[in-house]
Amino acid sequence: MIYGSATVFTLLLVVTLSIKGSTGLQWIVSGLTVGSIYALVAMGFSVIYSSTRVINFAQGEFSMLGGMLMYTFASKAGVPVPLAFILSVIIVTLLGAGFERLAVHPLRYSSVITVIIVTIGFSIFLRAVAKWIWGSDPVKIASFSGDKPIRFLGAALVPQSFWVFGFTALAVLLVFLFFNRTIVGKGMTAAAANPDAASLVGISTSTSSLIAWTIAAALGAAAGIIIAPIKFAAYSVGTMLGLKGFAAAILGGLGSAPGAVVGGLILGVLETIAAGVFPSGYKDAVAFLILILVLLAWPQGLLGRRQDVMA
Amino acid sequence: MNESILEVEEVTKLFGGLAALDDVSFSVEAGEIKAVIGPNGAGKTTLFNVLTGVYRPNSGRVILKGKNIIGSRPDQITAMGMIRTFQTVELFEGMTVLENTMVGCHSRSKYGFLSNSLRIPRAMREERRIFEEAMQILTDVGIETRASDEGMNLAYGQQRMLEFARALASQPEILLLDEPAAGLNPYETGELSNLISKLRDRGLTIIIVEHDMGLVMGISNDIVVLDYGEVIARGTPDVIKNDPKVIEAYLGIGTE
Amino acid sequence: MARRKGIVETHSYRTFLIVAAFIFILPIWARPIPGEALHMDIVNLMVLTGIYACAVLGLNLLLGYAGQISLGHAAFFGIGAYTTAILCTRFTWFPTWLGVILGASLAGAIGWLVGKPVLRLKGNYLAMATLGLGEIAFILFSQLKGLTGGTVGMLNIPPLSIFGLKFDTDIKFYYLVWAIVLVIMLLTINLVLSRVGRGLRALHSSEVAADAMGVNTGSYRVKVFVWSAVLAGLGGALFAHFQLYINPESFTFALSILFVTMVVVGGMGDIWGGLVGVVALTFLPSIIQVFPEWIPGIPESLTNFSNYALVLYGLLLIIFMIFLPKGLSYGMERGVAAGRRSAKLLLDRIRAHD
Ligand SMILES: Nc1ncnc2c1ncn2[C@@H]1O[C@H](COP(=O)(O)OP(=O)(O)OP(=O)(O)O)[C@@H](O)[C@H]1O
Ligand SMILES: [Mg+2]
Repeated sequence: MIYGSATVFTLLLVVTLSIKGSTGLQWIVSGLTVGSIYALVAMGFSVIYSSTRVINFAQGEFSMLGGMLMYTFASKAGVPVPLAFILSVIIVTLLGAGFERLAVHPLRYSSVITVIIVTIGFSIFLRAVAKWIWGSDPVKIASFSGDKPIRFLGAALVPQSFWVFGFTALAVLLVFLFFNRTIVGKGMTAAAANPDAASLVGISTSTSSLIAWTIAAALGAAAGIIIAPIKFAAYSVGTMLGLKGFAAAILGGLGSAPGAVVGGLILGVLETIAAGVFPSGYKDAVAFLILILVLLAWPQGLLGRRQDVMA
Repeated sequence: MNESILEVEEVTKLFGGLAALDDVSFSVEAGEIKAVIGPNGAGKTTLFNVLTGVYRPNSGRVILKGKNIIGSRPDQITAMGMIRTFQTVELFEGMTVLENTMVGCHSRSKYGFLSNSLRIPRAMREERRIFEEAMQILTDVGIETRASDEGMNLAYGQQRMLEFARALASQPEILLLDEPAAGLNPYETGELSNLISKLRDRGLTIIIVEHDMGLVMGISNDIVVLDYGEVIARGTPDVIKNDPKVIEAYLGIGTE
Repeated sequence: MARRKGIVETHSYRTFLIVAAFIFILPIWARPIPGEALHMDIVNLMVLTGIYACAVLGLNLLLGYAGQISLGHAAFFGIGAYTTAILCTRFTWFPTWLGVILGASLAGAIGWLVGKPVLRLKGNYLAMATLGLGEIAFILFSQLKGLTGGTVGMLNIPPLSIFGLKFDTDIKFYYLVWAIVLVIMLLTINLVLSRVGRGLRALHSSEVAADAMGVNTGSYRVKVFVWSAVLAGLGGALFAHFQLYINPESFTFALSILFVTMVVVGGMGDIWGGLVGVVALTFLPSIIQVFPEWIPGIPESLTNFSNYALVLYGLLLIIFMIFLPKGLSYGMERGVAAGRRSAKLLLDRIRAHD
């Protein structure tokens, strides 16, 4: 299955490149750029899911908030970009951690439906509050290092793309190191693999849930900030981003961090190619179709293990 | 000898690399009490899950009353007359003792969404029949006074009885009991033992998984011993008691 | 025991009669008395309430009883609305009542088509899949311009008429819609009190146990999903003939969430509670609009409900799930009971003191 789809995907890239030439290359690079963002959001889903079996429907709103806060700090208040970045991420992270303590943690023994509804409530709440604060018009955030496109084999790359690639790589590395090299992270990995053994590895489910939400909120916020200069930022972008991040997580295999990255990149590229080929109004439908098809035909995704997906 | 009502033939169930059931075969005769014993993790619950259609085995056949039921849905198997209880009590939350029991009548009632929405007389008659049968069964197991209480609010021993009642409500021919005495006090265990014998006398076939050796040796006609998914012994209680392999399997994992 | 079951039944049907009587006389007094005082068109709001109630009754069966979530029911509502709108505007001779029936049926048919595969998914996955379906439907409503009129939508939808009787005023529509809602109520009460209702609740609580007890959970899930899609489609079709125009904005994710919120606020698995949820959330915006009269000097941004409708829905969802998971009506019952207890306690204490 994995090799099959890798082959199909490579073929698709080759075909796109040979038919469309530099336009094709342009699509692929833009696809990889948004794909990186989907990957970060997908990692947020996966981190929370693997340690708590909760799907955080508000994951996309973390990104939206990141972008909007960045706008307030960097574009409105004139705070230097690095500082604005850090401030925005910290605020969103505190919000995520606070929500976990106030709403998710008290419901740890409740049914899945209850927790779903609560995180949906949170996502609607954040979105609506953002609309109240920032209004409904999209806002523009300056790129981190100018907008002068870089030419590469006939394709024009915006410099922000490199920030996106670099940052995604860094974030993936940090998450990997945390879960595989630190004592707490290793404990969480072990506990996720075998919930019964959670108490043996010396990390309570309560702590691990809080840490997971903190990481996911930070990842989401950072993703929202670095993509904001390329796409516009607006109160409404979170829902769609969340859905696509989820689609990416499912595609890669929910709960698998490498899966999240692979799923995100593939989804980004497929979507951009589709947007080039089909009427643009249907662009968003691609992610949903992929989501539903993967869920139905192949629920464990590319790199995930078989899970309790099916009723 | 009686004819066999259930045949388990060469059933293997793998979880990843682990064989929870490894080429398990045995047959159950109508009207007998068959015990399945074995240390923790031996595969007893997995066996029940295969028999009732929760899991599909990797290979092998399960013949119920002459028909291979591999691939049948759990509710179909229940409708064919084989029903189970659960090792950890699985009552329906938010439902009364009576309602829990009435769910057990599901396989012997048929009116669906439309007939019941419209309250057609035949569906109403069926509903009354279900109600009366459920009350009768609650009386049989001795918890009829709690009929209108929420099932989850019963004392543990009574919850077990309710699970029992719920399964009996389907009027099964074969009853699978997964550790029915777990958590019961000696008095309750005694009651349970009487009840099981009474059911056998009424012609019910019973397969019981149980760690309480007193209970098992006291009521069963025949015993199958599982260890690491394999049948290591079978025979009457007297034979099993003295089988060195059985003693070793139990001692090998530490005395319990 | 025998008594208890009897009590539950008569209780449900008695409540039904009381509610039916109340609804029958509501327009007579509500319009002049509280309506005037609150500057609210109560009959008009009640029509909308009834329309939403159709969808919410179905969703309550699905979510509250069977425990299967759908975050895409706006799609079925929209399918019902667009079906009848397209038929009745394209073909002016087309009987509007037939449009409504076809709208509900098509919603059900599509519910069956997507439900069959999608309902194999559990909890989180089902939620995401239905959400995705809802979004795809919204994209189609906006993009299939030739059929749906795109983002502009469809205008000049004829009012509903049944065998020459035209439902072109609020009051006529009120009685029509509520007659329909009451019929659905009755069917729903019958259903939940039957073996099917028990099967659905069993499925909600423990799927393995329900399976083992002989409930065909797969088939139940699909059937209840289809039925809830039909009811949502019916609501949507009525909506189209009441508003007389529709556009995709009426069938967004926000509507799906509104339906879920109504179920949750009313109490999952509580038919009457569900109705309370629909009434409360449909009236809420208008009630808040009246605030400036009661509280002079309240800032403008607080009186415009649409500004923070979703802030409130979000908070309601969170708060209800944490503190009142059984919903408003259950909470009220509990509150009244607790009040009575403490009053009695106080009385006892006073007596003891004497
Ligand atoms: N769904 C599953 N996935 C993976 N492994 C499983 C699953 N169910 C059971 N197992 C494994 O299969 C083996 C047999 O388990 P089973 O529950 O059948 O044992 P048992 O004999 O009922 O034990 P006990 O006396 O403790 O109830 C165990 O090693 C268990 O971990
Ligand atoms: Mg067991």
